[in-house]
Amino acid sequence: MMEVIRLLIAVPLLAAQIALIGYSRFGTARYFCWAPFDMQTDYSLEVTIGGRELSADEIRKRYRRPKRGTDNRSVQNLIDIIQGYEERYGKADHAQAVMKYRINGGEEREWRLR
Amino acid sequence: MAASLNPFRCGATSMPVPLLLMVKLVALCLLFTNHVRLLPDPFLPFLPFFEGLPYFQIVLKTVFLASAVLLLFNRRVRVTSFLLGLAILLGVLSSRAYYGNNKTFTGLLLLFAAISDFGPRAWPIRIQMMIVYFGAGLNKLLDADWQSGQFFEHWASVRLKNPVYLAISPMLAPLVAAKIMCWFTIAAELSMPVMFSVRRLMIFGVWMNILFQSGLLIFTGTTFTMFFYSMTAAMLAFVAWPQNKVIVFWDGECGFCAKCKGWMERLDFELLLEWRPLQSGLGERYGLSMEALTARLHIVAEGRVYSGFRAFRYMFLTNPLTWFLIAILISGVPENWANWRRAVVICALTFFSPVFAPIGEKVYGLVARNRHRLMADSTCKV
Repeated sequence: MMEVIRLLIAVPLLAAQIALIGYSRFGTARYFCWAPFDMQTDYSLEVTIGGRELSADEIRKRYRRPKRGTDNRSVQNLIDIIQGYEERYGKADHAQAVMKYRINGGEEREWRLR
Repeated sequence: MAASLNPFRCGATSMPVPLLLMVKLVALCLLFTNHVRLLPDPFLPFLPFFEGLPYFQIVLKTVFLASAVLLLFNRRVRVTSFLLGLAILLGVLSSRAYYGNNKTFTGLLLLFAAISDFGPRAWPIRIQMMIVYFGAGLNKLLDADWQSGQFFEHWASVRLKNPVYLAISPMLAPLVAAKIMCWFTIAAELSMPVMFSVRRLMIFGVWMNILFQSGLLIFTGTTFTMFFYSMTAAMLAFVAWPQNKVIVFWDGECGFCAKCKGWMERLDFELLLEWRPLQSGLGERYGLSMEALTARLHIVAEGRVYSGFRAFRYMFLTNPLTWFLIAILISGVPENWANWRRAVVICALTFFSPVFAPIGEKVYGLVARNRHRLMADSTCKV
């Protein structure tokens, strides 16, 4: 009985992880593919709503991430949070966000919320 | 025998001792690091199902706390381990802000421990270890910044400002030290799935994982939230654990030995040790002469004989209290006590590593030879 329970619970969970490791090779997000601390993203974020720039506190409340900092996951995770928030919860605000970031100390890049 | 309410006991439940010890160590660290404060309300969930669920966060926190506490007090250990793991995994799936590898691994470990047994029937944990290291190693192997050493250079010199790296790196050509560290990490991570997949190599996998995670903690001073605790505790699922009583031959005519026996008995909550005076003559049954027994402490565990420092080390290794103490010393201090954590890990690693055994034996020999002088009321005839 216990072996059946083990199989029913463990096999789908383990198989899903293997599939997600394979899937992660086709994108940049790297969710659930066991890539811990493989990327250091130093970033700073500027968000404007109705012409007013949001403070550091407001940005933290909005995205649950600091205005400026280092994220040790894929930069796409950060982009997904900002984009996802604005599409799902903040549509009416028409926020404009600009993120300047460097991956592993490389050249500065810029991402803009469209 | 009914399960004990003593949180430091791990016997007499539906879970094997090492597995229960493993999940209790994780639960203890979750509580000591106040992890409950991080549990989220739904925020950009991976599955839309979580969106707008009323009372989600409060239910999650209640289940988390109740499961962790009940688990520590040996109540319904499989159910509580499962629920604790589930609470963490639901937290991960419900919030991209909470999502993290350390939480995902911790949740899965608790969940798999709840449905596993010791030995071959701990296969879900074993495969989990293989997947974690395979995924981590593969991602690094295919990443240009890991291949060139750029990741490590930036991480160690700019982010961590690690003094050892900053001292060594300039002695070599640019990026060489970083490249060595990157490729060593990739090789270590990709070799571990192989070690965990072959039964004979498992012990090397266990040691490699412990050294790798400890090395990370020593280098960075951080536990990466729950990663260090869960990854090291997981090794308890694979180590040999005594299934029978351990016979300890002690000198019944030595006051100092009697005192030590008293201390060890008080700490032996699992009643694993069976103390027999060497004068009982039982040693002969295991081929141990009176001369050998008089000279050094001997134990017989699972048919194997250990003596001196190695005997003491075995008794400490198989006493859950040792692991609780180490976990408390690391997780029970403020987050910025990096050097304290480093010191605890280095001391524990040194004491239990085979490399330290010769020094340990020398210290043991010194104490054993002078044991009759160590206590005023000693009656030792040796």
